[in-house]
Amino acid sequence: MTAILRAADIHTFYGKSHILHGVSIEVNEGEIVTLLGRNGAGKTTTMRSLTGLTPPRQGTIEIFGKNTTHWPAHRIAGLGVGYVPEGRKIFGSLTVLENLKVPPARPGAWTLDRVLALFPRLAERRSQLGRQLSGGEQEMLAIARPLLLNPRLMLLDEPSQGLAPLIVREVMAVVRRMREDGLSVLLIEQNAPLSLSIADRAYVLDDGRVVYDGRAADLAKDSDLVNKLAGAGSKAVRQSA
Amino acid sequence: MQLLLFNAFNGLIQGVFYALMALGLALILSLNSVINMAHGGFLVIGAYLAYTLSPYLGFWGALIVGPLLAGVIGLVVERGLIRPIYKRSDPLYSLLLTFGLALIIEDLTRTIWGAQGLPLEVPDIINSPVSETYFFITGYRLFVIGITAAASIGLYLLLRYTLLGIRIRAGTRDLETTAALGVNIYKLRALNFGFGCLFAGLAGVLAAGVLGLTPPMGNSLIMPSFVAIIIGGVGSLFGAVLGGLLIGLAAGIVTTYYPAASEAVIYLMMLIVLAVRPRGLLGEEGLFE
Ligand SMILES: Nc1ncnc2c1ncn2[C@@H]1O[C@H](COP(=O)(O)OP(=O)(O)OP(=O)(O)O)[C@@H](O)[C@H]1O
Ligand SMILES: [Mg+2]
Repeated sequence: MTAILRAADIHTFYGKSHILHGVSIEVNEGEIVTLLGRNGAGKTTTMRSLTGLTPPRQGTIEIFGKNTTHWPAHRIAGLGVGYVPEGRKIFGSLTVLENLKVPPARPGAWTLDRVLALFPRLAERRSQLGRQLSGGEQEMLAIARPLLLNPRLMLLDEPSQGLAPLIVREVMAVVRRMREDGLSVLLIEQNAPLSLSIADRAYVLDDGRVVYDGRAADLAKDSDLVNKLAGAGSKAVRQSA
Repeated sequence: MQLLLFNAFNGLIQGVFYALMALGLALILSLNSVINMAHGGFLVIGAYLAYTLSPYLGFWGALIVGPLLAGVIGLVVERGLIRPIYKRSDPLYSLLLTFGLALIIEDLTRTIWGAQGLPLEVPDIINSPVSETYFFITGYRLFVIGITAAASIGLYLLLRYTLLGIRIRAGTRDLETTAALGVNIYKLRALNFGFGCLFAGLAGVLAAGVLGLTPPMGNSLIMPSFVAIIIGGVGSLFGAVLGGLLIGLAAGIVTTYYPAASEAVIYLMMLIVLAVRPRGLLGEEGLFE
């Protein structure tokens, strides 16, 4: 298996606060990898490092064989890296269609028509402003938007946050669908059982360090370990166990 | 009555210049997060280049090429001087930088073209009064209103319907997410700064046709243009135009009754708007929503 994303020993800061203390993660071609950890563990910061929004001060990031450590965000996206940010970050004053036109379309299977066919609710509401959408619709839009880049790697930061269970299932179906389409996926989730159920491998972060690295199925079996490591996400484990 | 109309119309023309300036300033403020103190300098650049080019290109050619060159120079300035300070989040840096730039442009203009006033020749067909009673309504002034309306509508269409416009609006709201979606925000901001300067240049050429050219000609327009933005509402381009027209008109009308207060009334209006509606007349919404 070839790693299409490799972060090696990255240290990331916000101003003077040292958040990531040597994080190393890999995503292989065609994999779904999940990144777990309690609140404030550094999951979002890891993703911001990978996307170029908060570049690491130390360590290296390689994506599709290129050293992207200090690339600006738009160049990394241009390689085919789709990003669904935490909190969705929909452009509320733009229509659904305009939101979908922000990413410069790269040639590939995903066209506007195909994306709208995958998300019929968005097609129906194409002329509505982003801020008029429901939470679930906004999440769909946040996922649909980077698809127009025809990404080979998708980074999703808590796509199920604040959504009703039915919608969460729909979101996860879309994530599986991405993998069937040949995309590799890095998925941040608070809901550990949910993401472990669709992921191939898992990393658990704590206090800016990787504290678990292994097969998702192994971690899912050991709910005590999930409990200990993933903190908040473990509540759901206890309930479902 | 005649005098009131005369002053009101003069004020409206002045307001048109404020509106053009405020439009460019507001564009730059919302996407580049720069309070462009050098905006009056780009007005001067547009006006003087049009003056120099008009013997070769005629008035019409100069009217187009002058502002375009001001825009291109704006683009170069953004690349060379403004871009390096984006990462400094303190607005003081860009304020000081563009303030210094304004002084440099004014002195350069004085060095190249001299300190004395220069006239910009306007073709006769658009320069004669439309009627005898209303002698102050010259064809040129109507022309200024028409060009400004056309330019504003053009900008509106660009922002509303083009991919570039959509990305400028997106970047105004959330620059980081726009970049993460693959938009080259460096290019986007440079183009946007250029557009803003193009509008300043256009104001310069049009104003030169009424008032002639002097190196500090931008100075008297820049403060009222900031006031126009505040009255219209920061973040709203339509508000900037409205604010510009309103304060121009108000200053004109006040001139009839109490000339000494014609400048103060602008700031008085700003205080009243800020007290009653702190976000400005149209400040709640963004670009042309
Ligand atoms: N812009 C910022 N400036 C300073 N510190 C920040 C900033 N953003 C996050 N932090 C801090 O960095 C640490 C890691 O935050 P991060 O957002 O990466 O955590 P997370 O694992 O994504 O948490 P959550 O599950 O709550 O989303 C936290 O302690 C947080 O307070
Ligand atoms: Mg987070």
